[in-house]
Amino acid sequence: MDIKKSQQASKSDQTETNAIDRRDFFRKTAALSATALAGTSILSSNAMADDEAIMKMPKWASAWGDPITKNLYGMPSEYEHNVTRRYTKLLASGNFRASIAVTPIHESKGIITPNGLFFSRSHGGIAHIDPNEHRLMIHGLVEKPIVLTMKELQRYPSVTRTHFIECPANGGQEWRGPQYNSLQFAKGFMSCAEWTGVYIKDILNDLGLKPTAQWMLAEGGDSSKMGRTIPIDKVLDDAMIVWGQNGEALRPEQGYPIRLLVPGWEGNLCVKWLRRIEFAAEPWYCKEETSKYSVLKPNGKAVQHFYANEVNSTVVSPSPEIDWSDLKDGQIIEIEGLAWSGMGTITSVDISFNGGRTYTEAKLKGLVLPKCWTRWSYMHTYKKGEKLLLTSRAMDDAGYIQPTIDQEITAVGVEAVYHRNAVETWEVTPEGKINHVQMRSNYKRAKDGSILIEGEA
Amino acid sequence: MLKFNTKLVSISTAAALTLSMTACMGDAITPTKASIGGGVLYPVVDGKTGPYHVNTDIEKLKINNGRVATKDELHAWNTDIMPDGTGLEEGEGSVEEGEEVYEAKCVMCHGDFGSGGGGYPSLSKGSAEELQKTLTNQRLKPDTDGPVRVFGTYWPEASTLWWYIKDAMPHPSTGTLSVDETYALVAYILNINEMSIDGEEVDDEYVLNREKFLKVKMPNKGNFEPNIDGPDSLKGIREYWTHPENFGAIKVKPAERCMTNCQKPTAKVVYIKNGGINDFHPPMAVSRNLPEVKEEKGFDAKIAYEANCAMCHGTDGMGAPVLGDKDGWDEYTSKGMNNVYANGINGINGMPPKGGSSLSDKDFKTVVDYIVNLSK
Repeated sequence: MDIKKSQQASKSDQTETNAIDRRDFFRKTAALSATALAGTSILSSNAMADDEAIMKMPKWASAWGDPITKNLYGMPSEYEHNVTRRYTKLLASGNFRASIAVTPIHESKGIITPNGLFFSRSHGGIAHIDPNEHRLMIHGLVEKPIVLTMKELQRYPSVTRTHFIECPANGGQEWRGPQYNSLQFAKGFMSCAEWTGVYIKDILNDLGLKPTAQWMLAEGGDSSKMGRTIPIDKVLDDAMIVWGQNGEALRPEQGYPIRLLVPGWEGNLCVKWLRRIEFAAEPWYCKEETSKYSVLKPNGKAVQHFYANEVNSTVVSPSPEIDWSDLKDGQIIEIEGLAWSGMGTITSVDISFNGGRTYTEAKLKGLVLPKCWTRWSYMHTYKKGEKLLLTSRAMDDAGYIQPTIDQEITAVGVEAVYHRNAVETWEVTPEGKINHVQMRSNYKRAKDGSILIEGEA
Repeated sequence: MLKFNTKLVSISTAAALTLSMTACMGDAITPTKASIGGGVLYPVVDGKTGPYHVNTDIEKLKINNGRVATKDELHAWNTDIMPDGTGLEEGEGSVEEGEEVYEAKCVMCHGDFGSGGGGYPSLSKGSAEELQKTLTNQRLKPDTDGPVRVFGTYWPEASTLWWYIKDAMPHPSTGTLSVDETYALVAYILNINEMSIDGEEVDDEYVLNREKFLKVKMPNKGNFEPNIDGPDSLKGIREYWTHPENFGAIKVKPAERCMTNCQKPTAKVVYIKNGGINDFHPPMAVSRNLPEVKEEKGFDAKIAYEANCAMCHGTDGMGAPVLGDKDGWDEYTSKGMNNVYANGINGINGMPPKGGSSLSDKDFKTVVDYIVNLSK
């Protein structure tokens, strides 16, 4: 018998049976909840067209798949090809060697960024280092200056920690107003991973740090010789030399074979392709710690050695990329986001539906770790046609809270470039589209140069 | 029973300061002491730091990995230059020599007289002394000028420039400049920033050496905070980061945080203007589909030119012959095309091999033909 015909023949019977079941079901549940089922029907019904995905056998349900001998290092499904780092020519030197590619935060899951999606920043291109020919030198104000092969380095007792790395210029193009209608570009200058390496303090146990040592220089072995100076406090707290990322070796984009990890502090301090560490009594004045990565305030003073990425958060779902235009009226939807702080551990996240005028507390989800992405969640019942201004605001255990844009700009102006952590806002349009907007006043200069809000007495 | 990490205290007095604990510590996860950067510390207590277990046996052991570095090895890699001149070799170079090196190796990225281009930084915008005054500029309104942040106007130490040029320039082939070339380039950059040393203008005739270099005074030296100089600077840095108002941060008790009326009445919704930035590569997409199979179009010289060559050969002032400039190209093609190919493939003056591209020799020659044909 023809299968299709048989299905059609039985359809009318089924419809009738289903209709009876349905009435019965409604009678039973109506008393319990009159509104719970509004907008959606969970009952089977042949009033709708059958889903081809169910009715038709796809080729993969019948034919052999690939032999396991293929792709011995696994690759994402080809259907996921749009989940990728992206770059913009506006943030690159002409030949993409001093440049950045950013993480698709809108597609992020949990608190770990896959290695292939981890944001990538280089100053002289991605170096491809032969680990057999790479050495780490540790010298300066230590009793015993040493050289380590990668094998010798990795014989130190290992430490595994989950931390985000964030470029302090994350959001730095938006001091003077929103620029990117994209979560990937507005907040994707960061990623989070589980790192494995060694505490520098454990190596110093043997080398003997001299009491006059106050500063550490970390220098890369790539063509840019990126260097940064780090105070000894952080070195003896939690600074690490890492070789493992999410259970495998660092990728070349992350500094293979080794990089510095300075948990919670500026991504730029986490020197990639690390080859030299030196200790001294005075700081070095590396190129990247004054010419860049310093925060210029309206009084002309620049904050240098601005270490920690401050408390921050964003709504991840919805996003300009993955919006709510397909939601039905009354649909219950999770608003999800990320919060992070280089100062410590996230303690709470608040959410606002009116651009940060009023807040209500959201729930934290999953592991809440120091200097690590933290997931948060809020359950929302969507009303078709509603207009919202979604704003999230995080707090950390150091007691810091995200400022409003007005608070941040009146304090540090609009020329800071780095360390912008004011609250961000998504506008939800009546069509369910998401626009990146900012809640901000107009500003003017006072006689003494400080920044005032226009229209305020 | 609380067990403290005492090993580190013996290593450094600085560590002792930051890791010392208050006596009333209760919850192992609650941080008690500020980190130097204004955050919290999670000292090892009862074998845990924050949520992580640690093997505290390590503290008692001296793990003897690696070997002592030789003097020559230290000399080879220890190339940093400190503001007091530590690490700075003797040598000399004139502004005139510097200009020559600049025209040959730097102009293609940094533009005429350090004006910038192609996404690379400007080295000068004019008088350092004068333009340093722009650092209080704020672009609060459209059409207002921003602060000029270049070497002369902004950087606090000249040692940074010398060190950076020697180790990390020219960008496509770093570490290839001699000490004298570096002095010459630094002299040239001081010259275009219209700076003086010890009251003497760094004019076109100026010859720079170590002694003179160490007398360079940067106009903006006093305008960085916190102070990081001197043997006791860490104290001041720790202090600086305990004041949130220094860096635009806000601290509040959780129960006292604002929950209503948290925006100024003047705050309005501001939208992205003029479409914003949407030059994304690859273009933004979130659908789950198979990647487009690109048609085999063969090699496109125009696309390759735009991706790899146009930055220098597309505009004047980058030191490279410009596409369409007949005279400029005749100078090279008159020596034969094989010579032009070889120059490009091996690199010439400031041009890295194949312009820094990863084109095959064959494709590279096709691009050279494309440029030369359009320059006849």
